[in-house]
Amino acid sequence: MSTSDRIFEVRNLDVSFELNRGASRVVRDVDMDIYREETLGIVGESGSGKSMLASSLLNAVVEPGICSGEVTYYPRNGEPVSVLELSEAELKRFRWEQVAMVFQGAMSSFNPVMRVRTHFRETLQDHNRDIPAGMDRARSLLESVYLDPDRVLSAYPHELSGGMKQRALIALSLILEPEVLVMDEPTAALDLLMQRSIVSLLDELQAEHDLTIIFITHDLPLLTKIADRLTVMYAFGLIESGTVDEILYNSSHPYTRALLAATPDLDVPVDEMHAIEGSKPDPVDRISGCSYHPRCPMADMHCENNDPPMEQISSTHRAACFYHEEAAEAIPLRGDGNNPKQKGAVHE
Amino acid sequence: MATHYLVKRFGQAVLTLVATVTLSFFLYHAMPGSPAESLKNVILSQAATGGTTVDIERLNQLVALYTNVQPDQPLYVQFYQYFSSIILEQDLGTSIYESKPVTTLIFERIPWSMFISVYAMVIGYSLSILIGAVMAFKEKSRFDSVSSSILIALNSIPYYIVGILLIYFLAIQNSWFPYGGRVSSSVTAGFNIPFMQSIVYHAALPVLSMSMLGLGGALTMRGNSVRILGEDYLRVAQLRGLRDSRIATQYVGRNAILPMYTQFMIGIAGIFSSAVIVEQIFSYPGVGLLMYSAIQTQDYPLLMGSLIMFTTVTVIAIFIADITYGFVDPRISAGGDNE
Repeated sequence: MSTSDRIFEVRNLDVSFELNRGASRVVRDVDMDIYREETLGIVGESGSGKSMLASSLLNAVVEPGICSGEVTYYPRNGEPVSVLELSEAELKRFRWEQVAMVFQGAMSSFNPVMRVRTHFRETLQDHNRDIPAGMDRARSLLESVYLDPDRVLSAYPHELSGGMKQRALIALSLILEPEVLVMDEPTAALDLLMQRSIVSLLDELQAEHDLTIIFITHDLPLLTKIADRLTVMYAFGLIESGTVDEILYNSSHPYTRALLAATPDLDVPVDEMHAIEGSKPDPVDRISGCSYHPRCPMADMHCENNDPPMEQISSTHRAACFYHEEAAEAIPLRGDGNNPKQKGAVHE
Repeated sequence: MATHYLVKRFGQAVLTLVATVTLSFFLYHAMPGSPAESLKNVILSQAATGGTTVDIERLNQLVALYTNVQPDQPLYVQFYQYFSSIILEQDLGTSIYESKPVTTLIFERIPWSMFISVYAMVIGYSLSILIGAVMAFKEKSRFDSVSSSILIALNSIPYYIVGILLIYFLAIQNSWFPYGGRVSSSVTAGFNIPFMQSIVYHAALPVLSMSMLGLGGALTMRGNSVRILGEDYLRVAQLRGLRDSRIATQYVGRNAILPMYTQFMIGIAGIFSSAVIVEQIFSYPGVGLLMYSAIQTQDYPLLMGSLIMFTTVTVIAIFIADITYGFVDPRISAGGDNE
């Protein structure tokens, strides 16, 4: 995984909405690299800007949101693409052919008055693909997500269960052989078993189709199973990123550590679980200094007045905290330092 | 399953029809001066002016002939007779004033009423779908707010006011259009161009004012479209890079028009009742005008007959809407199997 193998390069990305009470910046100054064929997990609490970040990778932020900054996509062959500067027609080709997205609420991602077959067919047609060959591919994709192609293709969306729809949507997202699959909480409305089976399915699909997967969720334990790298978002910006092990066992941002300590786990007694005090910040009235300082036990005057930059901790690990070296001591994780078995429990 | 559903729906339609006929029959009889009474009065006064006398038996015979009802029988027997002659002989009685069978009178005029009301509906609904869709796509624009205001104003002004204004400005002040009749007397009836032109020319104003009735649908269409523009599947369709024309028709259009389909079919009922007034304003000799004059002359057999005709058409329209909805919207399948 070298820097030359980037597939996405995000620089100074801002997403804002004009509200009556001022501009609401829902993604704030994000710098991020995504590497080819990795699985990047983006985690953060509700309303931290995860979905907006994901949408801007396809330049698909909903109106009237405004995206600024740079999102550069590096195709396997050919010139880098500046996603935010694509024309409408270029965007139509870029979306689904290069980057497909499966998003929150897949339950209603199909047109209720059209058969599933039509969804595949029209996608092929509007991207000028060969339809018979494409439909054969659709069948094999549906098979690879453990669906019966004949039954599913001729079904209307309402005739499929939630899990089936989700899997059919994943098959649909791969129909044009995209390089990148952005998954925005794809498992949010599914039961635990279905979540796990979709996660293992993604692993297989990734290996088979050389996919880069960006997986967004607030389910940290789920991410640790599939992701290679994790990025933590808080208050519309990135605060820490690193490999899964670095984040899980050596996280350097107080928020990440608090988030890990708040993750429910059956193996841990309730009194060892800690909710994070305070409430999340407002996207309009920006607080000065570090966005986490009102809730951070380590915060001091310096944090209140200055915005911490991302600091390099190792070649793969970055965190935006002035006191990243002391964080491990100040906010212990469950079973920190005494019981390696319980570390395993977090991982599980 | 599907046939079971069909039979059930059909049964409901028939039941509605029977209920309407029964109710109006008894309501007419409950009115002061029943149909038979008033007919008796008419015959008696005619006889009085003619200087002849009519004995009771002869009077009852005449009444029975005109209304299918024997007036000295108890009410339920009268109803049975009226009803059985409708079913068995398709006989709705004879008009008191026109001395023709009610069915003949109605069938003579039904094509004309159908002509203006069907065109009014098609024009009204097509326009409202178009305007509503454009309003939704340009939500919150000047076009949206201006046409919303106009549509709300048009909705609040009854269509017959529009009809009267149209007559005043376009027919009386400027004589661009005729203010009555259904065809010019100077052209020969038949399959020729001047005749057809004359029909269209005479129907223009009634159709225009009746189509105002359908225009209210534009606001519904706008609401439906705006709701669908926020649906997840629309966003996915955009993310899939589908053509805009496909998204507009197959995704937004189709889903937004769906709820209007039933409304359209039920609207047929409204269009007939409005035909009564519009045909009166434009003195357009259709079923509506026939019914209107029947009310004025208390021509009960004719009144009952046109009422039954209107009810039948409405019930059939709703029945068709019911059984075809499954084809338009797969989620409401007729009976819940194959489709």
